[in-house]
Amino acid sequence: MVIDFNPFYEFNRHVGRLLDDYSSPLTFSRRRAAFPPINISEDDANLYVECEIPGLAIEDIEITLEDSSLTIKGELKPGEGKYYRQERASGLFNRVVSINTEIERDAVSAKLKDGVLEITLPKAEEVKPRTISIEAS
Amino acid sequence: MSNETRKTLPKYRPATDIIEGEDGYAIVLDVPGLAREDLVIDLNKQELVISGKTGYPAEPEDKGDRKYTHVEFGGCEYRRTFTLSDTVDREKISAKLENGILFVSLPKAEKAKPKRIEITE
Repeated sequence: MVIDFNPFYEFNRHVGRLLDDYSSPLTFSRRRAAFPPINISEDDANLYVECEIPGLAIEDIEITLEDSSLTIKGELKPGEGKYYRQERASGLFNRVVSINTEIERDAVSAKLKDGVLEITLPKAEEVKPRTISIEAS
Repeated sequence: MSNETRKTLPKYRPATDIIEGEDGYAIVLDVPGLAREDLVIDLNKQELVISGKTGYPAEPEDKGDRKYTHVEFGGCEYRRTFTLSDTVDREKISAKLENGILFVSLPKAEKAKPKRIEITE
């Protein structure tokens, strides 16, 4: 037979795949309420804000630091053509993080690697923890 | 420790767009945190398997001396399988990773373009 028109052609393979899908219940798609997802961390010297923004270059991301908030803004542009499936987020996004510490405003830096943005906000001198030495009299 | 975290990375199906352009299809996947050297693309017969692990642990707290106050994402393993149709030219498939997005371009094969069959006596 040149072409197999049998509906059960490669049936075993499809059943195998179906079973594979069910046997790994940990495989699920990532859907979250807020975009982009953010992690906030700190150490003695800095405050770090990390977020996942796939598909944008650093110059397309607008980061603004106001009095007590950090705003991350941008737009994800959809591709051109006929869509068969569309799961990726597109459109404008805007996320605000409130900052409760004094920040060294001029030393804030941001870097982007593989779609993960990391903003480093150095803490101002006056809020950094310091050791006070006590002299015994 | 690092071995153990690798094992317990959660698996995700990355969000995907499939777009048909003029001379082929494009698969676009969101894979933030995935470096080029950690990405594996396998093509066997009709299945295109894309997988990879992010370079950081599932729980960001495991990363070092920083104290995390708010966590919404962590390391994970991306994996997704696509079944290709015969209209795709397997030899010409190419992929590009840029800013956490993977573009896979699947050009249409010459023979898939419609052809009239002549009837001979």
